Amino acid sequence: MINARTQDTTYGDEAERDMPFQRFNVGQRLEHILLMISFTGLVVTGLPQKFYGESWASAIVLLLGGIEFTRTLHRFLATLFVLESLYHFVYITVGVLRGTQPPSMIPTMQDVRDAFRMLRYCLGTVSTRPKFDRYDYRQKFEYWGVVLGAAIMIVTGVILWFPTYVTRILPGELVPAAKEMHGGEALLAFLVIVIWHLYSVHLSPVQFPGDTSIFTGRISIKKMLHEHPLEYTRVTGMPVPLDEEEESLESEVSGEERKGR
Amino acid sequence: MCAACHPSAAEHASGQVPSSPAQGQPAPASTPTAPAAAVEKGQSEIEKCMGCHQNENLTTTLGNGEVLNLHVDASAFANSVHGGKLTCSDCHAGYTEFPHPQLRATSKRSFVLAYYEVCKRCHFANYTKTLDSVHYTVLSSGSQNAPVCTDCHGAHNVTLQNISRAQISHSCGTCHEDVYAQYAKSVHGAALLDGNNEDVPVCTTCHGVHNIQSASSSQFHLMSTDLCAKCHSDAEKMAKYGLSPEVVQTYLDDFHGKTVSFVRKQESVVWTGKPVCTDCHGVHDIASSKDPGSLTIKSNLLATCRKCHPDATDNFPDAWLSHYQPSLNKASIVYFIKVYYWILIPVMIGGLLLHILLDLWRLARNR
Repeated sequence: MINARTQDTTYGDEAERDMPFQRFNVGQRLEHILLMISFTGLVVTGLPQKFYGESWASAIVLLLGGIEFTRTLHRFLATLFVLESLYHFVYITVGVLRGTQPPSMIPTMQDVRDAFRMLRYCLGTVSTRPKFDRYDYRQKFEYWGVVLGAAIMIVTGVILWFPTYVTRILPGELVPAAKEMHGGEALLAFLVIVIWHLYSVHLSPVQFPGDTSIFTGRISIKKMLHEHPLEYTRVTGMPVPLDEEEESLESEVSGEERKGR
Repeated sequence: MCAACHPSAAEHASGQVPSSPAQGQPAPASTPTAPAAAVEKGQSEIEKCMGCHQNENLTTTLGNGEVLNLHVDASAFANSVHGGKLTCSDCHAGYTEFPHPQLRATSKRSFVLAYYEVCKRCHFANYTKTLDSVHYTVLSSGSQNAPVCTDCHGAHNVTLQNISRAQISHSCGTCHEDVYAQYAKSVHGAALLDGNNEDVPVCTTCHGVHNIQSASSSQFHLMSTDLCAKCHSDAEKMAKYGLSPEVVQTYLDDFHGKTVSFVRKQESVVWTGKPVCTDCHGVHDIASSKDPGSLTIKSNLLATCRKCHPDATDNFPDAWLSHYQPSLNKASIVYFIKVYYWILIPVMIGGLLLHILLDLWRLARNR
């Protein structure tokens, strides 16, 4: 097992390329599980309320024990969601301020360049994938989607839960407005997770049957080199490995080594 | 002796019982015309009975001292729906001989109640329905005040009830005076009584006719939205009065309506506490929303909301969009949010699907 902190290893050996690299710590893995459970629970107790007229909606609600209990369950899970969001926010902020948490999720111009390079790669106009650091542009997109979505859901959810108190200071129309936004954002989040996230980690031929790194914390070096080579280089100090096509390109252009980022 | 004044009474005295064609086998209510001979015989029986009963002063004293008037208006009977079809003994069995057997009824009311069973000989379906009604429940618990058939329909002068819809309401109003007074002033009642409006509901429209159920049950409360919806979601009908046919849909789309929809699908009926139409608009005292006394106009709405939300303040009633669909003019914030997601969701999902397809395309080409 190669530890990210010791930077004490070599690579190039076939056997070692299959060895695991520690990518996520225990806290991160627990956070993800909790998020999975609360998000799924909120969707199952929430979307039937939005689509109240559909037969599947009333079937789910009846299965859960009726609308009143469904709502109670939804609010319980929502409280859980708020707490875990707060925990995450505090954890990251404190870490960033202390210097122990690198701002690895902050989008940069490189992400924009990576996205365009990916498009060109998929269309075939370049022959090599972009090289990603710890989180690629897709993962950052998803992370900030969840952050923004969570903010919207929490704010509108509070308005819906306490309409009499909210309307002491804010206009009443905000309550039905919050209802529309809460339901719309929920549907959007649900679809993005089901389509995009499930593809990225389960259905993509590269990941099928599933990317277990978020649960085990570990990823094989081979995968690291394929998906997050810049992170690997930064952590281990080893130079960024070149793909076959790049090697031939490099030798054509110059002998200069590519710097890791 | 009687024949001195009543020549036709001679037949009674001689012991001959004039045969009635309907005796023992009542003519079905739907028979258009009885055979001529039967009518002839029936008529003669009626004439015989009328011999005494046309006297306006004919009375008998009942067990409790009450005096029961035995006068029958023959022309009213002839003009009624039973005229020409039924004779006296079809309902009043046992009185074909004279002297008549002793009346056992101890009061006027118990006399009337004793005849409850008679109508079922022909009107079995409706009679059976009344056994399910709340009126029968009251009756069988010992109260003599609940109505039986003749209380609403009349006895000898039964006419078709739907000649005048106002007549129906008036008929219920004879016992339910307070409710009738409220109804008469309401927007529905006033239209009925002043203009004989054909569209407004009368008592029986909402409460049923023969199998009237208790209106204070959870079941009735939950299902009452259907009663209002029948007319108030009918676009044609509502156009006549300048009313919106979207009131039902907007109610259902909102929090209260959604909850009621879910509760109705549950097997056990519970009291939801969530309002249905009548909780905000009133029941028998429904006023037009243009009426200053109406419970639903803005200035009165806060008091209505506070019935369930005691800590509501001035802005709170604005959370209810007053049966308007959000549009550019009404509730524009809500409308813009709706439009925003109508656009954002397809664009976002479309974009992500495209990304997935491109990814798969490249992976396929790499093989």
